[in-house]
Amino acid sequence: MKRLLLTSAFAMGLAAPAWAEGCGDVTITQMDWASANVVTSVAKFLMEQGYGCSVTTVPSSTPTALTSVAETGIPDILTELWVNTAPAYAELVADGKLIELADVLSDGGIEGWWVPQYVVDAHPEAATLDGILANPGLVGRRFDNCPDGWGCRTVNDNMNRVIDMESKGIEVFNHGSGETLATAIASAYADQKPWFGFYWAPTAILGKYPMVQVDVGAHDAELHNCNSSKDCAEPGVSAYPRAAVKTAATTDFQQREPAIAELMSNISFTNDQMNGVLAWMEDNNASAEEGAVYFLTNNKDQWSGWLNDDARAKLTAILN
Amino acid sequence: MTSYEKLFDRLGLRDWCDADAADSPMSMAQLLAQTNEGNAESSGTLPFPSLDTLHEACNAFPQTRDMTISVEQGFLSIKDSLKFVLDPLTQPLSWILEGALFTFMATPWWILIPLLVLATWLATRTVSITVFVASVFLFFGVIDHLDVALQTLSIIFVCTGFSVLFGVPIGIMMSRSDRMQQIMLPILDMLQTLPSFVYLIPLIFLFSVTEPKLYGIAIILYAIVPVIRLTDLGIRLVEKDVIEAADAFGMTDRQKLYGVQLPLALPNIMAGVNQTIMMSLAMVVIASLVSAPGLGVLVLRGIRNLELGVGLVAGFGIVLLAVVLDRCSKAALQRIDPTHKTD
Repeated sequence: MKRLLLTSAFAMGLAAPAWAEGCGDVTITQMDWASANVVTSVAKFLMEQGYGCSVTTVPSSTPTALTSVAETGIPDILTELWVNTAPAYAELVADGKLIELADVLSDGGIEGWWVPQYVVDAHPEAATLDGILANPGLVGRRFDNCPDGWGCRTVNDNMNRVIDMESKGIEVFNHGSGETLATAIASAYADQKPWFGFYWAPTAILGKYPMVQVDVGAHDAELHNCNSSKDCAEPGVSAYPRAAVKTAATTDFQQREPAIAELMSNISFTNDQMNGVLAWMEDNNASAEEGAVYFLTNNKDQWSGWLNDDARAKLTAILN
Repeated sequence: MTSYEKLFDRLGLRDWCDADAADSPMSMAQLLAQTNEGNAESSGTLPFPSLDTLHEACNAFPQTRDMTISVEQGFLSIKDSLKFVLDPLTQPLSWILEGALFTFMATPWWILIPLLVLATWLATRTVSITVFVASVFLFFGVIDHLDVALQTLSIIFVCTGFSVLFGVPIGIMMSRSDRMQQIMLPILDMLQTLPSFVYLIPLIFLFSVTEPKLYGIAIILYAIVPVIRLTDLGIRLVEKDVIEAADAFGMTDRQKLYGVQLPLALPNIMAGVNQTIMMSLAMVVIASLVSAPGLGVLVLRGIRNLELGVGLVAGFGIVLLAVVLDRCSKAALQRIDPTHKTD
């Protein structure tokens, strides 16, 4: 409402009312996985305490958030977008609706096929795709595939056209949702049973359960591009590239709140940092908010560099 | 210094409180308290004495997180014995679901569709409904959704069959004993309101995620309720005078049940079956979250990829199936009981 008033006030050419000084309302996405929740909590804390914004978090997922921005221009800030699975993102940036601010996970996400550490400890050959195909019993004769509608599902299915796991005695099981995929890993670990399938890092699951990425060979950009499309003529076996994980904001927002856009363009985590926070959250059964606090209290030097001078002054009590 | 800290100090429990001060994660509230240090908390505030609040004042109290951890640990510790009992018990459901899916998929369409249309005719004896069912299947065939629609249909058949198989006897038991009814009603309420993921996720720990019985159990638990409720209600609504007459003729309990109560309660029981079919259709999309094949998968794909068309067409397909099953079961019900008005 306040934003509506603000924009209408601007539209009528009036001066902005006094209470609009500083920072107004900000909406930021809160994606439904652990690392994104930490990023959102950290950003929310800095915006509220350092810049005096009133922040609303919008529970969301990548395609939903992008569609919402395309159609309505809300939410203002989208964070932890795994853009390689969302072709709509490039279009929105090209159209000037979105502005790319930062790589929020500076190392990029790691996607690939994994087996549990204890399987590789017992049978080192299970760390390579050839070893698994030669001896499918090592991994329980099953490949846990992505749910329908995920980007990795297309890639895995195309690679499997070449590998043909079924003929090698590995049943491909298509999961219905990310929750069951994660539970399948947890359940395999609870019984120390073999497991083989797709997952990605940094995630709470891979922070908690040590897994080994299966070596399927080198990454070949051309092959992977073909694998990513549904009607790929000549699929091949190629490792996943590092996934770009971005923070973006709407163009309107960047013009309205340049200081906040500046802050968001500084917020970035390395995979080691994020894995550390996620593992700590698992160990202590902590919420994402507590994970954010853990990060904030242990990396003061890092995040004080993200702020502008005013915000740093406001947060001196914590920084010192 | 909150009021609760003062309270523990006054009670002289400070030593006990600080005996094993383990570090618990700092909450956002505590961090914010650091930002505005100096303007100390007004002692007038009295937060609700929840576990977390008391833990902050006195380390000896467990936090709420400890409670949730112990629930998790409790489940994991009984997991193996539960599995030992439940796995063999529920295995037939997996086999039957697999069998039904295989049968529906393996039968050529030119045999299966006429069979289904014939079954419709035998059940309803109504030309209009039979024609409607035939045209729905033709429509699915034309838009290439026949396979997924049949997968969904076979899952519904199996789950509805099991629901009736277990639901009617449970309903009869409830109708014959008030104590049983008192025990069952809260359970039925819980089954209808419990979010499915709350029990689906533990089920994956018990059974392998590839087992069809995962979604079979989820659908049955949700869909069995109406048939139980309406069987119970139908038998209880049988006229007292009729029962008195039956008693006067010296009927045994069993004769009364089969000869009087069930026939008179049949319209209600059939209404329960009809509702059960509808409820199991409502679970199709949720079941696809635990890897059930069929139209639900397409709905989920539509949601995930924002492929509006895919999602809407599949959703419309589910509605069509619902209309087909509803019309068939209602027409069958009308044949059983000409006096029973259905609209």
